[in-house]
Amino acid sequence: MKNIEVEFTLNGKKTSLSSAPNLTLLDVLRDELGLTGVKDSCGGEGECGACTVIINGKPVNSCLVFIGQVEGLQVTTIEGITPEDGYHPIQRAFVEAGAVQCGYCTPGAILATKALLDSNPEPSDRQIREGLSGNLCRCTGYTKMLDAVHRVIDEGQDD
Amino acid sequence: MLEFDYYRPKSLPELKENLSQPGALMLAGGTDIIPKMRKHKFKPTILVDTSGIPDLEFIEDQKEEVVIGSLTTHQQIARSPLIASVNPALQKAAESIGCIQTRCRGTLGGNLANASPAADTIPPLLIYDASLLIQSLEGERTIPLESFLLGPGKTSLEKGEFIHSVSFPRLKDRWGAEFIKVGKRTGMAISVVNAAAAVLLDQKGRISDARIALGSVGSVVIRCRETEGFLSGKNPDREVYAEAGRQVREEIRPISDVRSTVDYRLHSASVVVSRALEAAVEMAERRNE
Repeated sequence: MKNIEVEFTLNGKKTSLSSAPNLTLLDVLRDELGLTGVKDSCGGEGECGACTVIINGKPVNSCLVFIGQVEGLQVTTIEGITPEDGYHPIQRAFVEAGAVQCGYCTPGAILATKALLDSNPEPSDRQIREGLSGNLCRCTGYTKMLDAVHRVIDEGQDD
Repeated sequence: MLEFDYYRPKSLPELKENLSQPGALMLAGGTDIIPKMRKHKFKPTILVDTSGIPDLEFIEDQKEEVVIGSLTTHQQIARSPLIASVNPALQKAAESIGCIQTRCRGTLGGNLANASPAADTIPPLLIYDASLLIQSLEGERTIPLESFLLGPGKTSLEKGEFIHSVSFPRLKDRWGAEFIKVGKRTGMAISVVNAAAAVLLDQKGRISDARIALGSVGSVVIRCRETEGFLSGKNPDREVYAEAGRQVREEIRPISDVRSTVDYRLHSASVVVSRALEAAVEMAERRNE
């Protein structure tokens, strides 16, 4: 099995790497690049959404993407939206609404929220539920997540 | 994860060349293939990644028919105004698949090649008599979707072949179409039963043509032709929809599995067929000639 060369934009920075082709984007982000905000929860089934990243504006489960498939694409992880100091407005809303319990699903849920609001700044309740339906929370804090998304809608994504 | 050599063709000729090699498997969105490779249900020695080929990602209006490239994602279909107007059942089906994360990666061609009896895009395509353009290094052929599906995970695709595109004719005059799915929950659900129905009404408002497809009730998604025959020429009303629901039970052989039981599937199939017919007729009646 030969290594492949992959070039993509990660959190705004051009990134080139050499990788075994059978690694997923999730494997590379966590194990090669140290971006451990992205989580593996269901073991690569695409069931839980904990490994959600944003690729070219769309929320994607990074466990279901081989590293070669991101050639030329823009990948954003939770680290990419977190400012040096403080929080992104969606992160702050999650904290303030109490939408964070164990925290394991949180980065994925926040990125799914970001992708939703970037494409639809004022989603209906149904659209919010649909936009987050791929992100499982086993502390079952779904209602608080909806509250958090409403906070962001009311207050805006800009600081 | 198993080991393989990885190719990323940048053109259709290169894709055909790569797929002609022994042990090659085409990777579209990856939402089905990657978990199956992880469980060693698929063991390619060569993985041919199609993410470098934009040519297979399109939705085209060709007047009499609509053509969809095999690498078009479920999300693109769900958001397409053209699909919503010509095949609203397909639009609803695409929208009902998995979650936003899967819809943004999963493709129409992948859903068809994966050939799950529960595949949501298949019933709406079957009621439109869709056909597939299949290509390989040797040439190309066209095959009706109905003959393409051979069993769970089994299709008529030969080694080196891939789905280029899916096409279906527009329905004309007073028509309506509907898709209904029963799952264990609304999000992320694999269908326990899914149904698509289309009807055409004549000038007197009678059903001139009815088409019904049911998924997850047998080894492949099927057209229910006897029930379709019963509906032909009928004046559409609640009693006719209910009778069609009863008749459809005779045409299907569901099994019990992890998602549901024979009895529940028979009952749900009956209910969703009645409801889909009623919705399709209502849509057709709203179209003034």
